[in-house]
Amino acid sequence: MRPFTYTGAKNKEQALQSYSPTSHYLGGGTNLLDLMKEDVERPDQLIEVASLDYKKIFQNDKGGLTIGGMLSNSETANHPEVRKNYPLLSMSMLSAATAQIRNMATNGGNLLQRTRCPYFFEASMPCNKREPGSGCGAIKGMNSLHAIFGYSDSCIAVHPSDMCVGLAALGATVEVQKPDGSTRIIAFDDFHRLPGSQPEKDTNLMPGELITAIHLERPEFSEHYYYLKIRERSSYAFALISVAAGLQLKGGEITKAGLAMGGVAHKPWKFKEVEKFLVGKKPDESIFEAAAELAMKDAKPFEGNTYKVEMGKKAIVRALSQAYARKS
Amino acid sequence: MKTIKASGIGKPIDRIEGRLKVTGMAKYATEFPVENKVYAQAVNSTIAKGEIVSIDTSEAEKAAGVLAVLTHKNAEKLKAFEEEMPELGTTTIAPVLQSNKVHYYGEYVGLVVAETFEQATYAAKLVKVKYKEETPDIHLDKSRAKAYKPTESSDFSRGDMDAGMAAADQTLEATYNTPIEHHHPMELHAVIASWNNGKVLAYTSQQMVDNSTIVISDTFQIPKKDVRVVAAFVGGGFGSKLNTDRHVILALMASKKLGKPVQLTVTRNQMFTNTGMRQHNEQNMRIGAKKDGTLTALSHETLSHTSTFQEYQEPCGNVSKMLYKVPNNLIKHRLIPLNFQTPCSMRAPGEATGSFALESAMDEMAWKLKMDPIDFRIKNDTQIDLSEERPFSSRLLIECLRIGAEKFGWKERKMEPRTNTNGNWLIGYGVSAASREAPYKKTSSKVIISLEEGKAIATIQMDATDIGTGSYTIIAQTASEYLGIPTEDVTVELGDSNYPVTPGSGGSWGAASYCNGARAACENAIAELKRKKNIPEGEEIALADLLKQNDLTKFEAEGTAEPSEEFEKYSVFSFGANFSEVWVDKDTGMSRIKRMVNVGSAGKILNPKTAYGQIIGGLTMGVGMALTEQTKIEPNFGNFITRSFADYHAPVNLDMANVEVIFLPEEDKIANKMGVKGIGELGITSVAASIANAIFNATGKRMRDLPITPEKLIMAKLEPGVES
Ligand SMILES: Cc1cc2nc3c(=O)[nH]c(=O)nc-3n(C[C@H](O)[C@H](O)[C@H](O)COP(=O)(O)OP(=O)(O)OC[C@H]3O[C@@H](n4cnc5c(N)ncnc54)[C@H](O)[C@@H]3O)c2cc1C
Ligand code: SF4
Repeated sequence: MRPFTYTGAKNKEQALQSYSPTSHYLGGGTNLLDLMKEDVERPDQLIEVASLDYKKIFQNDKGGLTIGGMLSNSETANHPEVRKNYPLLSMSMLSAATAQIRNMATNGGNLLQRTRCPYFFEASMPCNKREPGSGCGAIKGMNSLHAIFGYSDSCIAVHPSDMCVGLAALGATVEVQKPDGSTRIIAFDDFHRLPGSQPEKDTNLMPGELITAIHLERPEFSEHYYYLKIRERSSYAFALISVAAGLQLKGGEITKAGLAMGGVAHKPWKFKEVEKFLVGKKPDESIFEAAAELAMKDAKPFEGNTYKVEMGKKAIVRALSQAYARKS
Repeated sequence: MKTIKASGIGKPIDRIEGRLKVTGMAKYATEFPVENKVYAQAVNSTIAKGEIVSIDTSEAEKAAGVLAVLTHKNAEKLKAFEEEMPELGTTTIAPVLQSNKVHYYGEYVGLVVAETFEQATYAAKLVKVKYKEETPDIHLDKSRAKAYKPTESSDFSRGDMDAGMAAADQTLEATYNTPIEHHHPMELHAVIASWNNGKVLAYTSQQMVDNSTIVISDTFQIPKKDVRVVAAFVGGGFGSKLNTDRHVILALMASKKLGKPVQLTVTRNQMFTNTGMRQHNEQNMRIGAKKDGTLTALSHETLSHTSTFQEYQEPCGNVSKMLYKVPNNLIKHRLIPLNFQTPCSMRAPGEATGSFALESAMDEMAWKLKMDPIDFRIKNDTQIDLSEERPFSSRLLIECLRIGAEKFGWKERKMEPRTNTNGNWLIGYGVSAASREAPYKKTSSKVIISLEEGKAIATIQMDATDIGTGSYTIIAQTASEYLGIPTEDVTVELGDSNYPVTPGSGGSWGAASYCNGARAACENAIAELKRKKNIPEGEEIALADLLKQNDLTKFEAEGTAEPSEEFEKYSVFSFGANFSEVWVDKDTGMSRIKRMVNVGSAGKILNPKTAYGQIIGGLTMGVGMALTEQTKIEPNFGNFITRSFADYHAPVNLDMANVEVIFLPEEDKIANKMGVKGIGELGITSVAASIANAIFNATGKRMRDLPITPEKLIMAKLEPGVES
């Protein structure tokens, strides 16, 4: 690890004022510290923000729930309100990492965790995300864990978060504090970005912006939901593919659908077209299959990840069927 | 003499060192209090093949706390390999920083020593190396033309393979792949090395203490008597700590240069590239059988890779020489030098991987013959080791299979794949036979008996290691048994080269060798004490009384046990059978092991609790081999892209099943006086085949490439239909 200074921010103002472009906010450190040890992230200052007072969960004025940015993943996922009204979020979060890591990880940090692309982690390998202009090792290399949607010539990495897939299906906004002290609200779909020609940027966050809250919409998928995570071991592994599915049903018809996939793109991949397609349909296996075909029709896999297309279809059908069959 | 048998052998007692471990008092290599120690961090190559053109250490040297930077330019000259491509053994020298050549990605190209660990770690990043890069050989497939036969014993044949195939009613040919795997013991490889006026003291994490002293003395060309190696507690090895690796030599070079003890811990990431691995094996199997299941021919040809400078061959085919009665048999091993580190033994080398191929192929043949796979194996059982033309000292394979089948409920199995389902789950049962040689080696130990407040207590000393297996405990139980005192009154001191020599831990010979060594010392002590007082050999007398009669408060004796002539006339193996029930999700390709029954016949079980632990550990590692573990190679640069526990997937608790472990009572006095055989490697052997066979029974798809991941099962298309 390279030498750095450590600032324990006592309040939001101090955190924002201490910020410089070469510093990093420190949440639980479960991602950042690993990357520093790997010499991938090289901040000269860490500003600890995990202890700032953004740790509450409360009803917001839009009938939804607001979740503090510094609350731990465990406390969030296990909170009675979240479990009751947003079980899809709970389920996605609890599928991630291990209990120990979830205890440390903060919600803000989870949104900003970086890709697990092995080239990104290995400082001697080419990687445009780590070192813009050095090339993308994965495109012609080992790309079994990489994207099938929305990638560019410069980067084919995927976003690794489970929580974010849940949030994408649910619909949410992210509240950030700008360095000038003002507040900005970002729609969840606009929070993460596609790599384009700037894969070094994972999100649309501006330098120095501090995540303080996530606002959830009015609960709609508290009865019919499922988070399916396909992985190489039963726990403590990132998703090969994951699907967050939420359905709202009235009189035997789907009135609203939320569907997002993880492990396939630079951001949680929300199937807006499929969500619309499902509305007004009677839920059954053939509709779910049609939804899966529609969802995966634009998938463009690489040599190493063709399995993701088939796996993705099966995963969508399964997640939707489970969501439909489920009654919490 | 068995006056008190409160806690002798055979009792499931807790580990005697368990308390030390859970309270943090057991000292692992870098936990010994060594004054004035400084810290080292190695620098690794970032190319897989080529030459170092220049190394700029100036920035590192200027960094805070840095005491020295070693590279090939300033490192002392060590003894070099005497021949080209020497075979890797447990006493092979470990020269390092001897040239500017790079043989594999991650090879040590430098060492930074600093006052603190953090300073050394940081400064190691400041060393700038320029390379002249060459295209590395990293693909087994593309380098087939370079395959060579390592030694005469790499090949074996019996009868006429072609004739055997021609005589068969059914034949099978199939190729099985097992990937590069890593041992990853919990305790990182680590050393505190002190060079003191030509004398060496190394606290290091090794499986074989005596061999370590040999490697060090040989590499530095100093007398063996001047080298002391201590490995009191070892946090796992699985074969990776058999050899004394280059980090030990690096630390010693630095200590010699600086005149200070140097601590060097190999990082988890470096453990992928510098402390051994299991290589990728491609195993081609051919089997011929008569309609009634009689084997007519069996061949097992293995293609593996070694490094470009040293040779290691895993004997995958050996299991196919001896497990079944087959008149025509052909075994071959070929190696291709590739730009990776030299592989080394990993738990059950040969058997773990070889049995995957053999026992999968046997299952495939049973299916072709429409025969129950257990009946097929029993049909071809042999009590003679045909490869050596000598009997097995004891072989209860049939019993293992039958008793396991009974416990498992094998008769519920549906022979036709895909006929047992539950919702999305396809359910399959699999079986596989296991065998593992049970060697036994010359072992010495010392017993120190004393009288304390009228009570006899004893200390056993030997240079054996307990690599997490329970050696401390079973040695204490042995002393308790043969001295007739409670285990609580026995102290065991291990892992110091000052103690009597043992073969160290490896090859499943530890329990038999160590315990017989301890037995010999205890028997000698008793015999000597009785002889002095003319007490007849057979007379029962408490140890304390024996000391009192001798007017002694302290008495020492040594003893050595070694294989008898009788032993050499037999093949001595442990046998076993593994049964598994596996559920495969037909949509997601995820597999779940629901339950396992493992039956072993492994001689006398010294302590059912530690023995159980060995089998459970082996089974878990087998599950990893079958379903989750693989080291992936970057196809252009030749580095490993699995570089931490986040992406090298060792199984977690959820991946494991409910396991029933059964040991058959076995008396094998040929194996050794105590009838003890190895179990450390028996557990892992055959698990992968058992699971792959269960997956076939569940899905109708033959999975011949490990690990069987969801990707592979999805690509195999889990639609109805059974592969031929
Ligand atoms: C071995 C392992 C396995 C894992 N498995 C999974 C998994 O299966 N699924 C999954 O989803 N995740 C997994 N994770 C990732 C884990 O969820 C993330 O590491 C964690 O959520 C990050 O949160 P943190 O608070 O520790 O972030 P940190 O590491 O502290 O920070 C991450 C980034 O966010 C920035 N940051 C932190 N807080 C804020 C804030 N409030 N405002 C602005 N910027 C901020 C930091 O500067 C840094 O750049 C795994 C992690 C590990 C180590
Ligand atoms: S996919 Fe992205 S993160 Fe991975 S090597 Fe290419 S540029 Fe880097």
